[in-house]
Amino acid sequence: MRLLYAVLHMLVAIPGGVALIGGAVVTALVQIWANKVRSLLTVLGIIIAVTSIITVVSLTQGFGDYVTNFLRGLGTNMMVCYPEWIRGPRGEFLRPAELSITDIQSVDTHADAVRRTSPVVFHNSTVEYGRRQLTGINLRGTNELFQPIRNYYVDLGRFYGPVDVENAAQVCVLGREVLRKLECDESLVGDYIHIDSQRFQVIGLLEAKGSFMGENQDQVICVPWTTALKMYPEQRDYLAFFVEAAAEDKIPRAEGQLVRILRQRHGLKPGQANDFGLFKQDQILQEFHKIRTIATSVLAGIVSISLLVGGIGIMNVMLVSVAERTREIGLRKSVGARRRDILMQFLTESVVLSTVGGAIGIVLGYGLAALASMHPSMTEVKVPGWSVALALGFSAGVGIFFGLMPALKAAIIHPIDALRHE
Amino acid sequence: MIATNDNAAQQVVIQLVDLHKIYRVGTELVHALRGVSLSIRKNEYVAIMGPSGSGKSTMLNILGCLDVPSDGAYLLAGQDVAKLSQSRLARVRGRQIGFVFQSFELLPRTTALKNVELPMTYTRARHRRRRALDGLSRVGLGDRIHHRPNQLSGGQKQRVAIARALAQQPDIILADEPTGNLDSVTGDEIMDIFDAVHADGQTIIIVTHEDHIAARCHRVIELKDGNVVRDEATGRAPDAARREASTAS
Ligand SMILES: Nc1ncnc2c1ncn2[C@@H]1O[C@H](COP(=O)(O)OP(=O)(O)O)[C@@H](O)[C@H]1O
Ligand SMILES: [Mg+2]
Repeated sequence: MRLLYAVLHMLVAIPGGVALIGGAVVTALVQIWANKVRSLLTVLGIIIAVTSIITVVSLTQGFGDYVTNFLRGLGTNMMVCYPEWIRGPRGEFLRPAELSITDIQSVDTHADAVRRTSPVVFHNSTVEYGRRQLTGINLRGTNELFQPIRNYYVDLGRFYGPVDVENAAQVCVLGREVLRKLECDESLVGDYIHIDSQRFQVIGLLEAKGSFMGENQDQVICVPWTTALKMYPEQRDYLAFFVEAAAEDKIPRAEGQLVRILRQRHGLKPGQANDFGLFKQDQILQEFHKIRTIATSVLAGIVSISLLVGGIGIMNVMLVSVAERTREIGLRKSVGARRRDILMQFLTESVVLSTVGGAIGIVLGYGLAALASMHPSMTEVKVPGWSVALALGFSAGVGIFFGLMPALKAAIIHPIDALRHE
Repeated sequence: MIATNDNAAQQVVIQLVDLHKIYRVGTELVHALRGVSLSIRKNEYVAIMGPSGSGKSTMLNILGCLDVPSDGAYLLAGQDVAKLSQSRLARVRGRQIGFVFQSFELLPRTTALKNVELPMTYTRARHRRRRALDGLSRVGLGDRIHHRPNQLSGGQKQRVAIARALAQQPDIILADEPTGNLDSVTGDEIMDIFDAVHADGQTIIIVTHEDHIAARCHRVIELKDGNVVRDEATGRAPDAARREASTAS
């Protein structure tokens, strides 16, 4: 209390209108401090609203950045084309459609919006080195263009070249997680490991990419696709390919050309469904946007309900405050307070009350956002300045809106009636 | 007309014309003032007396622009109060009139200094703190400025209230039984302050039921059942005032 009075004195010393507003705010703070518990309970709704705004906004923002970063890491213009299973007349699966290597080459030569392609053979492989054995390692059989297409480069040693691909050489490039799990250091480059019992020379190490959505992206092994098909001939049915568009804005054009060429090559009649699928990055983005829309609407719901609750709480406590201080209002009027002075006094109090609630909410929101950023997929979480401004604006607005009625009620009290109030 | 008076200090500041006040309590009407007419000149020192319920407070509240009459007119410095807007009334209450209540009416949890500054905050007066300090030392509380009401005695509280009433140097001081809650010694000290204020040229109207308080004023107006039943100068009145009062009655 002593401190508050010191602040009060200081503020009143500031000349002019600032002092007046400052004085009113300090008076309001003193009043709020005098009823700490009541004030806190009153602004609970506002605290919840503001905490939700800050947390949800910073989480969706942060998660958005995270997804965007991940997509950038995939190579911005990349698509994956994969065979779709062929269905019988009753919708039953007959057999997987086959994407042939000539399909891939045809797309590469005839689609001018496509810059690069690479076949890709997927397999879950077992890797052995010395006594260490790893299972479930993502093996990718690709051509030499994997690096630029996927924007994923070797940072030690070399990637396999066209000759390795042509000769189906037993060479491989390892992701950092594989290296870590094999308990090896970088001296493994040049050494030999076994992939599904075949001897491979490690010629390079891929740069670390980290994890996305809890999945480690570095648990990967790349080998020439020719080698992979030789080892796993049954994977021919699932042969897919990476397609890189010439530019980001050429993606739709590349997609159109690819679909046209493949349908033609597979002899599909109009009305027949594609026997291949396309995975594009904007699908991830769309998924994310869907999540964000849901989060935003849930947020809007929570915020409006808790602001309403908070506002009614403030209106209620202000009505109580006006009733409790009727005599004070009468006294103030008897020494010259105008209606607008009383109105401003109580309006200031309700706005200060709601803004204090807002400030508490901001602090809590920051705390929750900081807590969330400890999670590996939430490292990008930060509280945007506009969400703080929005939250403070909302709380001040609630203070004005719901404080107006009690303040008006106080302002129009007749001085003598107020002074006679018990 | 008072124009014949050559003394400027004797202009009429308060004039009541056939003033009525009727309270409605449920279906019952309480006639608190039944046609009061009187005038009070600048720098008069008036005691309003009368038995409890005779309408003293009602009249003083109307004089202080805290309440409005049911009928009749109240002219304050020649201005019909009924014609003033709400904000002009607030101005009158803030600048022209200083009101002292029987129950002090200080803001709780607020220092003496801040209580005295209060009227000045509404007129954005300058040097509020210094003026409040001056006011407090004038009523002998220069060493109690940071005390809050619950740390002050009744007499001290009333001094703070008087300092507050004087803060804006109003023309008129209205006090409703200012010594009613105080012992007689303390009451006399309060009256000493009023004497000094009166000597400075301010008009003072004090409601009291104590004869020794009234005896310190210069004019006594007695109410009974809402009517003026007596209006005369006291022994302390200067001759002119005594003459004035006796011709009026
Ligand atoms: N607010 C009110 N409502 C109803 N009656 C009132 C009110 N105030 C005063 N009265 C009545 O008016 C009369 C005069 O009261 P008041 O002016 O307070 O007398 P005094 O101050 O001389 O004791 C009394 O009968 C009192 O009961
Ligand atoms: Mg009374």
